[in-house]
This record gives sequence, C-alpha cells and structure tokens, in this order.
Amino acid sequence: MPKEQFREADVIKKISHVQFSIDSPQEIQQGAHLRIVSKTLYQGQRQPAQNGVLDRRMGICSKDGDCETCGQGLNDCIGHFGYLDLALPVFHIGHFRSTINILQTICKSCSRVLLKDVDKKVYEKKLLNPNLSYLAKKALYSQILTKAKKQNKCPHCETPNGGVKKGPGLLKILHDPFKGKKESNEVFQSTLEELIVATDNNKELNQVMRSHNQIDEMNPLTVLELFKCIPKSDVVLLGITSPGADPANLIVTRVYVPPVCIRPSVLSEVKAGTTEDDLTMKQSEILLINDVILKHMSSGGRIELIQEDWDFLQLHVALYFNSEVSGIPLNMAPKKPTRGIVQRLKGKQGRFRGNLSGKRVDFSGRTVISPDPNLMIHQVGVPERVAKIMTYPEKVNSANLQKMKQLVRNGTNKHPGANYVQQRGSTFKKYLAYGNRDKVAQDLKCGDVVERHLADGDIVLFNRQPSLHKMSIMAHVAKIQPQRTFRFNECSCTPYNADFDGDEMNLHLPQTEEARAEAMVLMGNKSNLVTPKNGEILIAATQDFITGAYLLTQKDVFLTKEHAMQLAACMLAEADSNMRIDLPPPAILKPRRLWSGKQIFSLIFKPNKQCVVNVNLVTKGRNYTKNYELCPNDSWVIIRNSELLSGSMDKATLGSGTKNCVFYVILRDYGENYSTLSMWRLSRMTSYFIQNHGFSFGISDVTPSERLLEEKQKLLQTGYSKCDEFILETQKGTLQCQPGCTIEESLEAVMLKELSGIREQAAKTCFRELHPTNSALIMSLSGSKGSNINISQMIACVGQQAINGKRVPNGFENRALPHFEKFSKIPASRGFVENSFFSGLTPTEFFFHTMAGREGLVDTAVKTAETGYLQRRLVKCLEDLVVHYDGSVRNAIGEIVELTFGGDGLDPVHMETKNKPVDLIRELNHIRALNQFREESVLQSKEIMITAKRILLEDQFKASRNDFKQECLDFVEKVSDKIRSVQVAFKKHVTLANEMERMTEGHLRTFIEKVNDKYNRAVTEPGTAVGALAAQSIGEPGTQMTLKTFHFAGVASMNITQGVPRIIEIINATKFISTPIITAEIENNTSMEFARKVKSRIEKTTLGEISSYVEEVYKADMCFLVIKLDLNRIKVLGLEINVDTVIYSICTSKLRVKAALIDAIGSSTIIVRIDSGKYGSCLNAELQRLSTAIQNVVVAGLPNISRAVIAIDDTVKPPTYKLCIEGVGLRDVAATYGVIGHHTKSNNIWEVYNTLGIEAARTTIMGEITSVMEGHGMTVDTRHIMLLASQMTSRGEVLGITRHGLAKMRESVFNLASFEKTSDHLFDAAYYGQSDAVSGVSERIILGMPATIGTGLFKLVQNHNKTELEPPQVPLLAQAC
Amino acid sequence: MAGVLFEDIFNTKDIDPDGKKFDRVKRLHCESESFKMDLILDINTWLYPMDLGDKFRLVLATTLREDGCPDSGEFNPLEEASRADSFEYVMYGKIYRIEGDDIHSEASSSRLSAYVSFGGLLMRLQGDANNLHGFEVDQHIYLLMKKLAF
Repeated sequence: MPKEQFREADVIKKISHVQFSIDSPQEIQQGAHLRIVSKTLYQGQRQPAQNGVLDRRMGICSKDGDCETCGQGLNDCIGHFGYLDLALPVFHIGHFRSTINILQTICKSCSRVLLKDVDKKVYEKKLLNPNLSYLAKKALYSQILTKAKKQNKCPHCETPNGGVKKGPGLLKILHDPFKGKKESNEVFQSTLEELIVATDNNKELNQVMRSHNQIDEMNPLTVLELFKCIPKSDVVLLGITSPGADPANLIVTRVYVPPVCIRPSVLSEVKAGTTEDDLTMKQSEILLINDVILKHMSSGGRIELIQEDWDFLQLHVALYFNSEVSGIPLNMAPKKPTRGIVQRLKGKQGRFRGNLSGKRVDFSGRTVISPDPNLMIHQVGVPERVAKIMTYPEKVNSANLQKMKQLVRNGTNKHPGANYVQQRGSTFKKYLAYGNRDKVAQDLKCGDVVERHLADGDIVLFNRQPSLHKMSIMAHVAKIQPQRTFRFNECSCTPYNADFDGDEMNLHLPQTEEARAEAMVLMGNKSNLVTPKNGEILIAATQDFITGAYLLTQKDVFLTKEHAMQLAACMLAEADSNMRIDLPPPAILKPRRLWSGKQIFSLIFKPNKQCVVNVNLVTKGRNYTKNYELCPNDSWVIIRNSELLSGSMDKATLGSGTKNCVFYVILRDYGENYSTLSMWRLSRMTSYFIQNHGFSFGISDVTPSERLLEEKQKLLQTGYSKCDEFILETQKGTLQCQPGCTIEESLEAVMLKELSGIREQAAKTCFRELHPTNSALIMSLSGSKGSNINISQMIACVGQQAINGKRVPNGFENRALPHFEKFSKIPASRGFVENSFFSGLTPTEFFFHTMAGREGLVDTAVKTAETGYLQRRLVKCLEDLVVHYDGSVRNAIGEIVELTFGGDGLDPVHMETKNKPVDLIRELNHIRALNQFREESVLQSKEIMITAKRILLEDQFKASRNDFKQECLDFVEKVSDKIRSVQVAFKKHVTLANEMERMTEGHLRTFIEKVNDKYNRAVTEPGTAVGALAAQSIGEPGTQMTLKTFHFAGVASMNITQGVPRIIEIINATKFISTPIITAEIENNTSMEFARKVKSRIEKTTLGEISSYVEEVYKADMCFLVIKLDLNRIKVLGLEINVDTVIYSICTSKLRVKAALIDAIGSSTIIVRIDSGKYGSCLNAELQRLSTAIQNVVVAGLPNISRAVIAIDDTVKPPTYKLCIEGVGLRDVAATYGVIGHHTKSNNIWEVYNTLGIEAARTTIMGEITSVMEGHGMTVDTRHIMLLASQMTSRGEVLGITRHGLAKMRESVFNLASFEKTSDHLFDAAYYGQSDAVSGVSERIILGMPATIGTGLFKLVQNHNKTELEPPQVPLLAQAC
Repeated sequence: MAGVLFEDIFNTKDIDPDGKKFDRVKRLHCESESFKMDLILDINTWLYPMDLGDKFRLVLATTLREDGCPDSGEFNPLEEASRADSFEYVMYGKIYRIEGDDIHSEASSSRLSAYVSFGGLLMRLQGDANNLHGFEVDQHIYLLMKKLAF
C-alpha cells in the first residue's frame, strides 16, 4: 500500500477573504428559513411552538427528533436561521454612534451630505480609490464629519442644521437646528412665531413656548426615512463604500433569530419545565412587546402607551445585542444580568479568545509532576493509566501488522493495547472493550486504523503554564511507567519553570505522522536546549546535580577501586547498558591506588576511547580568586579533551543561563545528542554519588560559632558607631550633602548604604568562618541553591529591611513604632534587624520584617498581572513578523519591517559570545587540543597571516560572509602576534617554543573551516517567527523582574523608573513619562566651574529666587513695586544676568508689563510702576497681584526645567562632569551654549521623536529597553529589542504596543477583534464594509487555516502531467436550429 | 634511566600559603637543590603526610617500566609497576600546558613552567628551559616521590 500523496485539503473551498457588512431586511429574509411570530415557546407536551423561537425548523438541541428543515440529527444539523420583524424600527446599539455621526453629516431635511459639491467630488474620488487602506478611510470619514459638523445650513436646501447629540435616556437622539444661534435669529424667530400661533388656543402651552428651545427628538422612524433618502452618490461620503451597502440598514427593523443549537434549552430534571438560554428569552420578550405595540396600534391606543412600549422594544433589542448597555432608566433596568450577543464574543472566555484563537483539545492529559534523574533528558514518564486513555491512530501496514494484531488482542485494559479499530473505507469505529477482540485482530488488514495506546517512544508535547516562551511546550519521548505522575529529568525544569511542590503539567499526543515529525524536529526538547532570548543554555544541570558534581570534583575526593567502578557503572543504563567504559589509570598509584573524583567525573563526557566527544573548556568558576589554575579555591576549570584537569565544577560550568557551561560547549561542538547524553550521565552519577556521600541540612548547619558571633558583634558595633556619627553630623549640620539632596535625604542615603553593607559583610564573615562541610555553604558555593544573603540571614544577621527602597517609614507619629523615641534615627528604629533567623527576632524586628515581606508579596501579585498583559500585547503586535527568503523581516501582508533581521541576519540562538556566533579563542584552543598535527611542520609567526589569507581565498570560502572573513583575519593576526613574541623569546629552545604555541597549517585550516561552518549555520532560517520570539524574549524576563530596584542616572538624587513600570512606559510609547531625564555632555567636561555655568543656563531661575525683597511702595501721588536683586546670590549661582536682562525677562513674560513702566535704579534695583490709566480704580489690588506674580518670572534658564544636577564621573582621571536634567526640552538643552548638542540624550522617546526624528526614536527605544534589562542583570539579544523598536517605528511615527497602536499597525478585523474591544471592531468593520484578507497568524488560526509562518511559509509546487480536457461541446443555438 | 624526564631533590619551603582549604590535600611549595627549579605540588597528605622542611627525591617519568617502554595509557589492574617499587608515593597525570613565565621581561626569558594535572592534583614545575627538554603537551607522566632521611 503506497503512501497517499499529500494534497492540500479543500483548495477550492479555501477562504480568500471575509467580507463584513450589515444585512438589509431583505438579505435577512433571504438568509433565514422562516419568520418567527409566536412569543410562546412551547405548546402542549413540551413541543416547540410553531413559528416560535424554538421552532424545530431552526434545528434542534436535543437528541430526540430531527431537524425539520434538513432532516438530520443533533450531530449533523448545523442549524438554520429564522427572523422576526419589529413592530417599529429601533436604533442598533452597536451602530448608535455611527447613526449619530451620519445624522451629523447629513442635512436633516433633504438627507444630503452637508458639503459643498466641490468638496464632495474631492472626497468621493479619494474614498473610491480601491487601494485605500482601512485606516485612511476612517481618517477621511472623520475629516468629512468634522467639516460637515461645522455647517449650520444645508448648502443644498438651505435648511438650518444644528448639532445632533445623544439625548437623555436610552438611545435617544436630539437635534437642535438652531444650536448656538441667538434668539434674535430671523429663522429661529419665524419658526417660533409659527409655533406660538399654532398654540394660541392653549394658554399654558403658549406660555411655555416662549422659552422653548426648539430641540427635536429624532426617533428611529424619522431617522430611517432620512437614511432611506440619502442619495446613492452621497452614501460613499459616509465611508460606506462597499456596493449595495445602505445606511438605512443601521436602523433595525428585522432581526435574525439564530439557530436553536447555539442557544440550547436545558431540560431540568428537578422541576418541571426547561431552562432557556438568554437569547431565547430575550427574543421571546421582544416578540411579546411587538404584540403589545401591534395591539395598541391596531386598537388606536394612547400615543404615550405606544411611545413607552417603543422605548421598551428599543431597550430589549439593545439588550439582545449587548446586555451591558449603560444608562438604562432605573424603572426599565432588567432584574438579573443576561448575556447578549456581544457578551458571547468578547473577553477572555468569549468566542474570539476562548473558542477561536484557542480551543479545547482531545488527546491530552494533566497530572502532578515529579522528578526522576534516571530518565533521559528527552524522555517523560507517563503513567500507564494515562497511556491507556490517550491513543494514537496508527495505520496498519505489512510491517506493523503483527504488532497491531497483538495490540488489538490486548484490548483497552492491558497496557500496550488499543481502544478502537477503524476499518479502511468505513467511518465506523469499533470499540475494543467489548466484543470478540480476537476476531477483530484476525480481520485486521493493511490500511485499517488502530487507535492504539500511547506507548514507549511516542512523541508527546509536554507543557506547563504559564506558557511564557516557546520552551514552555516541548516535545518529549514518552516512557510508560507504573505510577500516577508525569516524571522527567530535573534538568528540564528551567525552561518550564517547574518545581515539584505540587505543580501540574499537561501532555498532548500529536495525531499524525506529519505532526510528530514537526514536533520532534522543531519542538523537540533536545532541539531547544538553548534559549533564543540570548543563546544561553537553558536545559542543564540543576540543584542536586550541581551539588553532587561540586562535591565529586573537589580536589580532595579520592575513590577506591570499588567506589570508582561503582560510580562509573551508574552510567550503564537504557541504551548504554552494554557500553564499554575505559577507566583511566588511577591518579595515585602508591601508597594506594586511588582515583580522584575528577577522573571519574570526566567519564560522563567520554566514557571510552571510541567516544568522539572531546570537550575543551577553560573558564573560571564561581569562587575564582587568582592565579588561574593555582587558585586556592580550585575554581579555575580546565577541561582538555574531555578530561577535567583542574577546578571543581559548579553552577558556572554546569548550570543553565551561561555560555561557559560544559553542556553548551558539547552542544556547539558535537551536537544536542551528545550534550543531553552527558547531562543524563551526570544526573545519574551525581545523584548516586550524593546519595552515598550523604547530604542533609539541619539546625547544626545554621548554628553560628563563637568566633562568628564575635565577628558579627564587631561588625555591628562599627556599623552602629558610624551611623551615630552620621546622625551627630546631621544634627550639627556638617554632613556632606550629596548633589541635589537635602541634608535629611543625604543622611538617609548614607545610613541605608552603611546598614545594607553590614549584611553583605556578615555574609563574607560566614563564608570565612563556616566549615567547608557545612551544607548551606556547599550549596551556596556550588551555586545550586541559596545566595550569600540567605546564609547571612539564617546564621548571622537579617539586615536592613527596606520598603520602597527606603528605610521603614514613619507609620506612627514621627516614628515607625511606639517603641522608639520620636524622630529617632538609630538603625533599630528604622527597620534594621540585627538578629538572625537562628537567634530569633525581637517583636519590633519581626514587625519590620513582616512589613518588607508584605511589600514583596504585593509586588509579586501586582507584577504577574502586569507582565501577563504586557506579554500578550507584545505577542499580538509582533506575531506576524517572519524572516523571508530574502532575509528581510516582513509582516503578514509583506510590508518590510527590517531589511535584514538584526542588521546581520544571524539568529540569536547561535551566538556563542555576545553578538558573535563563534567564540574564536575557545574554538582555536579546541582545535589545537584535538589534533596536534604532529606530522606537519610548525608555522613561523610571519607565515601565519599569509597562510590564513591564502586559505580564505580558496573556492570553498568564495560565498562566505564578509563579516566571517574579517573576524577571522583580525583574530589570526592577534594570535600570530602572540606566537611571534613566544618564538622570539625562546629562539634557543625551538622545540619547547613550538610545544608552547603550536600552530600548523592544518590547525589554521580546520579553524577557518569550522568558524565558517558556524557562521553559515547561524544565519536565521527563512520562516523563523522572529516576531513571536522577540515578544517572548522581552516579555518573559519581565516576569522575573523585581519591581523595586533603584538605579540612579549618574547622581543619587535623581533616580529613574526601572523594571516593569519602565518597560511598560517604553512599550506604550507614553508621552509623559514619570522620570524624564536629559543627559547633556558639556564642552569643557573637566571643569566644575564650567559645568556650573552651563547648569545655570539650563536650570530655571525665577526672579523671586534671586531678589532680596519685593516691596510695594505707596506714595501720595504714585505707587510702584521695588525689586532688589541679590547680586551676591547671582554671583554664587553663576548666573549670567544683570538688571537689564531681568527687565527684559519681565517685559517678555506673560505679565504684560510695558517697558516704559520699568526703570532700573543702579545695578540692583528695579522699579515697576502701574499703568494708572488702565487700573485707575484698583491700583492697590493690581500692585499686590503683580508683586506675587512677578516673583515667578523666569530670569534665567529654560522654563520647563526645574532641576539640573551635575554628575561627577570619578572613575577616570581627572574626573569628568556632565549634566543630568529633569524635565522636557531636549531641543532647548541641546541648543544651550556650552552643551555638546550631538551628545545630548533623553530618555523620553516621544520627545526624541519630535526633536530628532523617527530613527533617533528607534535608537532611544533600543537603548532604554537594553538599559532596563541590564539594570536587572538580564541579557536579551539586541536583535529582539531591535525588532521591537523597528516594529514600533515602522509606520514613521512611534506607535505604542497598545490597542491604539495596534489599530494603526493592522488592517485585519479579526486580528483587532481578537485583541481588545471586540465588538467595536466588528461593528466598525460592518459599517465600513471592511474585508479581511486573512493573512495574519491570528486570522488564520481563527479560520482554521495554516499560517504563513514557519513551515507554512512555503508551498510545495508540483509539476502535474498536463492533461488537457476537451472543451465541452455545446451546440450553438444557430446549429441546433 | 630511560623514560625519565626530570629528576631532582626538593626542599619543602611552604605548605598551603593561601590557607588550608582542603582536608586531605595540601599544596607544597618547594625548591630543588641542583637545578634551582621551583615546584608547586598538590599532594594527598592523608596518604603521605608532608611537613615543612621535608626533603624528597622527585622523579618525573613517562613510564613505570624500567626498560622505558611506553605505557598503554589504560588502567591495567594486573600491571606490576617495577620502577615504583623504590618510591613511596606515585601519581599518574598529564602535562597539559607549557608556557613561558613572563614573555616580556628579557631577564627571565628562558624560564619556563610546565603544568601537570594528576587527576586534579596540580603540579607546576618552573625553571630553566634547559631542564624541561622532552616535555610535551598531552604527554602522560608519572610522578615518583620518596622522602629522604637526614
């Protein structure tokens, strides 16, 4: 049986686009099967009433009976629509705004658009352009709207038109034709006269008429008539450009009744009767009101009654569409909330996000997880119970026939069995729990499908929520085990962020071979060892493995033959059961044969001589001090040809999140299989070792020694005495103020610094004093768990409790707690905890500790919600971006966002060093260690460059990347320099010199080939969803950010928002950020004097600040204001002003003081007189007003900048100065004399965009995000950040990653509707007659089509044999005759 | 003697200069008598205690066989180590690096260091290049020690 050829399913039925429109009553009738008239639901015996809302002709919702239209049962009938007619037209709640807008645009008597014919022509031409984008169309319509709104007289029929606005009450529209007109207006008067005459006979009404304001209420009937009369040519101007669309459809006269199956009735068993769906109930209510209105109308009922019923009808139709209507009058409000159609669509659980973008699936399982170091990295242990339920439909063929027969015979209850058999060509599935299984097995033929149990070796998808990045769902290989939990190797914990405190995880079983193949290659857990966030390894040794490896590789671990062999034999399991292990000769032969731990540890990389893995790594460990391998802590790791020569392994060399991890090195040099294999061997060996070695934790591990306590006391005493000194200095006022801080703030800053330092020092003491076998110390040193802070808090000192980055604030009157004296500044009164958890906290200390603890809890709670939303927005905005075959990054409709991804087209996954795909130094060392090329002669230093250049010119490097060649040459040059110096120094000992730095042509060639290979591999593959990766790479670290970390912009007094709030600020493209700071470099940056001068030019100085007094002087004949400038102060501040400039400033200020009224007397006094002619009657008041207002006149600096601080950088000699400026005004600062304009930076993206342009804004976005990430110690590849910045700026303006920004990035209605404001987008789309091209990822998912991303980017083009069909011969009419 | 790379008598000058870090291993700083070589050597002092001022004979050889035939490089439990018989402490390891002391200073230009790792126990032999002839990177060597009585 040959494999069926792959054919794309239903090519003919492929959806090309989705058109949105508003159905006219006629179309509704055509789309429906019957008219619903009866308000009754049931008639006798619970039979749905004929022509009622539950009529059987609209489909059925129960198992009994068939649909009366199509005759099919519950499972097959898709349902049929009905319709109902309203007694009176009503407004559509979703289109109410549009209705008002149209009314504002058209004349309320002749229905024509209130524009002059000339304008109409222009707009019509623009609107009818077929290439007009959705966004542009909306913009054009809003232009027309604003223009038409201003017209108060129709240019065609001259009728007065005024404002149309939403009236009081529900869905009421008011029209005031004389809006803004005076009562004296001629037209107004004449209409009023008319009315007065008409009401002459009614005295009371006549009286009221005079104050009548002529406002009309427009009811749906009149609006409908108006809309019907809009000329066809004018409809276009309303933005309704699709053919056949009619604004009259906005008014509801006829309503669809949806099929019964989407609003099923539930038969309740307890009480008689049924529970009906909200939609059914609402429709029946509408029909009821309909009947009432019709009865009133036919019987000539009172107009008020009809009006009231009409309002009621209006309300219920509105509630039917959208039950969250605001402004319902109290007497009409429904008793209990219901679900309207809009509520079914919107929100997380709504149709779009809950059922279309993500669906419930079959073939999945969920249970608790547990660790199992014996499982291989790519395996997952699945309980047999799960395996017996989850099945895979396997096609029977000649090769698996026997096996399948056995499975069928085993049936549903024995594990490797099967649940169903489906014979070829039949649609019936045979359940194997009952019946004669032997017979079924006997009849099994090739081509049948057996739904067999999940078995060993099946590819399954394993997932843990929250799925923040692509590594949260990975493909594993199932291994069926007899327990109740999912199990996996702890090495895979990091990508899932899983622990085993009760976490549950999900398992999915892909159902086709294609799905399995793709899952294995693309989602395979082995293929995802490395995170695309920054190229660091994610799946690596954790916790106990690190502890175990650390203990095993200590310098003083020696093993007897028995021990060594036992340990080595740990690796013999699974596929390696029969592996040969070559034990090296023991490190110590005499007096006793002993192997060192390092020797045995090395076996995990290369257990025997046949193994090809040769790891080469030289790096420093976590506890490295000095002298390379002679480091006293033995923390300089040298691995040469898979032999651990020196250093003990720890988190830096085994753990995740680093590029110096041995497994990463194996991965890069030998591939994922060897890497995971070594990891598995490590997990088996170390877990065995640690079990036998023994590793526990108890109270003895946290009991401090006498010496430790002494040291701690000393530390506390010095710390306290320093704090006392600070307090004393503050009281005296001699404390050195920090730039831009008050003395109080400076005190707080130094105290916090001092007290926080105590804990750090205590931790250091702990490390020094604790015995090397202390468990806490071992865990901390190896990096497996716990930091120095944890140790210090347990053993020595809990330390300063900080709230909001400050010491504990005053929660009581002028103190933190009543236990302390008022205004007390001593450490203990402000949250310093000197006890340890071991010694126990005093009540006040405990209270402070809980305060800080609470802050942390609140923080996490707030953060998770915030980052979750951030992640969703990022993904939604970037999901479409894909690398195409030309290397460019484009969105769904092919618009270019980046010309080459990340500027160099390289994939962040493959970066070995920062931004480079090869770590050249390690690569060269690796190649030199691998092969000595003893047969080749050593290259002399001067030959090296020549040889390298010659090799690069060879054919195989013709198509190589230029950056690779340059990189190679630069590096080889450096190496040859080094070799030269060695060769020169040891001319006398040539052989030894060659031994030291051996470099042959073979070395050079393999090196260049290898580097070239790595560069070529690093190129981003076309189809990579770089957008989604970028979104995840930026969103995921957000969840790990602790909200409160403080970062200072050069000076302590100027802190800038960091962490998640700042990321949100940047990504939202917020216009007014919370801490805008401009950093300005100054020309003479080594002079403090110069910096002060520039500062004074920038910082705002008001007249009040520099004047000694401002006095009002009253004389008999005149009064004036005397301002005395404080010349001394001006000099101190370095201001470049004098009396004349001050007068100028006053004149140009908003005070409107005439120059003639101001006089300068001497060099420091100014007199301001009052214009007595103007303020003759209130001279006194004016003078007082002036005397206060004049103090706010800005005499120097930029008015928007209240604070500028000089930042000193004393890391260089001589110290340099720059300015940090708070506030806005980048342009003004850059233009200030003394500032280097092109080195002036701002962290305000919006300001940068407005001053310097879009490219500068893009660079700023990148810089700001990078600095936030770095501030939290997180590395994210620049390519991701670059892509985000590019997307935000790709439209030529800075768009935030919000619903407003997204609306400007996307055309697709489905995409926007599945994000936020679902109903608004749908109603809008219907109004404008928008069509969705279904090109993006979201849209494709919603419509169940493969997206043009990843493996869906390309199409398989098949060359068919051309079979020409004869054109059908239709006899012509002439011939027939 | 065939296969011997280096032989000399050393004086223990210092033990664990950076403080005691490991229970069973001590770091000896020694100086040789005849060639004035500097030696840093990690040693398992539980098996073979050493004290300050101890004098010992140290031999570095590529094989333990008296005839100088090379070893197999694999662990052979039955092997009778003949040369080792006359020593008290024997280790097996690998030369992994040879480097010049300080390349830029001309005075010590002929001083070399050879680094050997005996399964993690490190040795640095530093001295005149003439004494280090025959040392090759990736060469397996044996270290044989015997304390001298005096």
